[in-house]
Amino acid sequence: MSVTRIEVKDLVVRYGDQVAVNGVSFTVGRGEHLTLLGPSGCGKTTTLRAVAGLEQPSGGRISIDGQTMYDSSQRKNVQTEQRGVSMVFQSYAVWPHMSVFDNVAYGLRVRKLGADEIKANVERALDLVQMRHLADRGASKLSGGQQQRVALARAIAFSPTVVLFDEPLSNLDAKLRAEMRVELRELQRRLGITSVYVTHDQEEALAISDRVIVMNVGVIEQIGTPEEIYNKPRSRFVADFVGSANLIKGKPVGEGLFAVEGGPTLKVMAPHKPHGNESEVAVRTAYIDLEPRSGDNHVPGKVRQRLFHGDFVQYVIDSAVGALIVRRPPVNLLAEGAPVTLSFSPEHCVLLEA
Amino acid sequence: MRGVLRPRINGQALTTLAVLGIVGFLVLLPMVFLVEESLNVGDPMAFPPVEFGFANYVSIFKEDFKTVWNTVVIAVMATVMAILIGFTLAWILTRTNVPGREKLERLMELPYYMTPLVGALAWAVIAGPKSGFINQLWKAVGGTGDIADIYTHFGIAWVMALFEGTVAFVMISASMKSMDPALEESARVMGASKLRTTLTVTLPLVMPGVLGAMLFVFAEMLGSFAAALVLGIPGRIYVITTAIWDSTLAYPPDYGRASAMGLSLFVVMFGMLTFYRRVIARGSFATITGKAFRPRPMDMGRLAWVLFSVCALYVALAVVFPIAALLMTSLQRFATVLLHQAQWTLANYEIALSLGPVRTALFNSIMLGLGVATVGVAIMSVLVWIIYRSNLRGRGAIEYLVMFPQAVPRLVFGLALLWAWLNIPVGLYGTLWLLALAYFTVMLPLGVRTLAGVVLQIDKSLEECARVCGASWGYQMRTVTLPLLKPGILAAWLLIFMACVRELGASAFLMGPNAKVIAPSIVNAFATSGTELTAAMALIQTFTVIVALIILFRVARGMTKELQ
Repeated sequence: MSVTRIEVKDLVVRYGDQVAVNGVSFTVGRGEHLTLLGPSGCGKTTTLRAVAGLEQPSGGRISIDGQTMYDSSQRKNVQTEQRGVSMVFQSYAVWPHMSVFDNVAYGLRVRKLGADEIKANVERALDLVQMRHLADRGASKLSGGQQQRVALARAIAFSPTVVLFDEPLSNLDAKLRAEMRVELRELQRRLGITSVYVTHDQEEALAISDRVIVMNVGVIEQIGTPEEIYNKPRSRFVADFVGSANLIKGKPVGEGLFAVEGGPTLKVMAPHKPHGNESEVAVRTAYIDLEPRSGDNHVPGKVRQRLFHGDFVQYVIDSAVGALIVRRPPVNLLAEGAPVTLSFSPEHCVLLEA
Repeated sequence: MRGVLRPRINGQALTTLAVLGIVGFLVLLPMVFLVEESLNVGDPMAFPPVEFGFANYVSIFKEDFKTVWNTVVIAVMATVMAILIGFTLAWILTRTNVPGREKLERLMELPYYMTPLVGALAWAVIAGPKSGFINQLWKAVGGTGDIADIYTHFGIAWVMALFEGTVAFVMISASMKSMDPALEESARVMGASKLRTTLTVTLPLVMPGVLGAMLFVFAEMLGSFAAALVLGIPGRIYVITTAIWDSTLAYPPDYGRASAMGLSLFVVMFGMLTFYRRVIARGSFATITGKAFRPRPMDMGRLAWVLFSVCALYVALAVVFPIAALLMTSLQRFATVLLHQAQWTLANYEIALSLGPVRTALFNSIMLGLGVATVGVAIMSVLVWIIYRSNLRGRGAIEYLVMFPQAVPRLVFGLALLWAWLNIPVGLYGTLWLLALAYFTVMLPLGVRTLAGVVLQIDKSLEECARVCGASWGYQMRTVTLPLLKPGILAAWLLIFMACVRELGASAFLMGPNAKVIAPSIVNAFATSGTELTAAMALIQTFTVIVALIILFRVARGMTKELQ
């Protein structure tokens, strides 16, 4: 494992009686891109703001580069401006009373760099986001996408080691968002910065992260690589929130077997050590085949509904394990009412923790 | 990482503590002195009092019952009129397609800038008994007796409603504007007529806003001073505020009685404002979403011109006639509306400007306005930042303290300060410094509210981003917060400057022979010399404010341009 840049331990943040973050722990390695993913109100933004020092935690410990930034037991809380991290805000927070250049130069001026050095750094940062030609423009005359780029340039101009991203793409339209996603990933790799990224968009999280933390109601549901989160969801919440999954009710009956309520017994995979009290398995809609393959679970069914989405076709299939949603490539379309055999491998039939 | 971040002292906590101390001293200490004096039943001139009791309070209900009655009657009449006017105008200007809607809306602010003092003087000229312009005209066409008399309960209430009731219009039209037009449109879609929609949807939704305005205006009217001073004293109609004023002028001045009346008035007003806040805080219905909608105006057809004349009539009664009447009066030897009898002259202006005391008073007022607005706005900006932006402990207490003077009638606060500084052995009494201190304190709610409106519009992350970039609090304030606040700071500066130049309530008690200001001097002139001279003085004051405003608007436009 690489060197740890950020360490968060048992973090608790309260707003009055409400607990926004309830005992969150994780580490971020050097050059790693970590994403906090969850629905609104899950505490992901609060966690990020606590790392930046913009939110006063009520318990736990935060350290950056081995230095303690917050520690409830030592009553230590380093001021935001002393933490040396950088951040891109959801609203961009581009100062409307300054030019693009002044915005980007801000962090450098605070650090009292010489004029030549400031100019060189600002230009380098603006080049990276392809905004150099607009350096003299007033910031209030920029489009949303341009403001986004300025905010990004400003965040990296003073060569921070850690950059925090608070839903930076959520205010862009879908197409621009997809473009910026690619650029962000590219930039992050090129500069080798360590970053923590907050989003509620699961697609974005899976696409640009080295590791993803799924959060819900102030606690961590699961930490893992995007593939782990997608293929081996630990809980019903993760299976439901990330990607699309069918949930089948029943109970485990011996090693790798799961008896569906009033239905057949399926071969399943348990990423954790089973306790015997589990009651659900999750099957991703993309992992169900409509033709039998050897070694798979096979369940007979009938097409109830077909929705043509373009990039894929979604079928609702009545079967012995209940109504399942299946997504297939838009070829060899089946008619509504056609009989099918559902086929999915045991490793994609994930036993969820109770 | 390149560059170094030096550790800095945390200036915030120190600032907060200092601010809490100073504001507390300015706002609360005078009130403490006032409470002490109101319980003084011994020698009214004793500092500090030696005998204590409740006699002063008891006498309010015995000897001054007539005053209490007058106050309530006038406040009720003025509130009813102000709400009727405010509601009608708000409805016309927000819900109908009256011609020239936007221009009219801006004209509605003018009566507020006229001030109740100038308004009362003007209406004394227009509708005074015998020599008033209306009565002159009446006699000229052969009528007998007086048909108009402004020196009555109704007359006082009328002037109060016209010049202090503008807040009702502002509040009601705000609640009408914040209503989602879809609420009305869906009623129309369901098949309801315009009238039915108005009765079953619009009115019930706006009602809480109207009730809130009613409470607020009533509290204002109870503490109103200028109109009752100008129009009530000649007809010996005393309300609480003028009775307080009167009892300090008697010999020996009865500060105990004045204090008891002032405190009682404060308690009633405070109660009403608290109740008002409750009503507002309940977030009544869907109208208060905090979102401003552009309501779809109803097409009134030809009726639109009738509605236009209603607005025009209001502007005429509250702005055009009063200014015209004052202008005519000030330019004549003896005020008359009958042009063939008029003897035109500029002598009144010459006298007003050559009288030493008037010139000094005007100069003092302008200097106070400039000084208090400049220093005040700087301090208030920091206050606003602490209250609405920092996460410091004690910011709630600061907000409460800062808004406190709003619940204290100006006159009562002036009395409290007078008594406090008579007792505090520092030679501040009778100087302009005390007036400056008083102005700053009573302007706190106005300035803070204006600035807060702007601060709350500035996205918090603009400041947070500066901190993340490594800026200290001071550096962030200097480079981000203050530059963004500039338009708000200018607006607050202008409002405070104007309010200072026209201040009457607090000045009445704190003005000394060597520290005269203009508004009380105008009142004195009205009581002791002719209307013609008074009119000239009132217009000079108004003119000064207008000139100052024009200059500042020019400057302001240049300054805000760079922001766009």
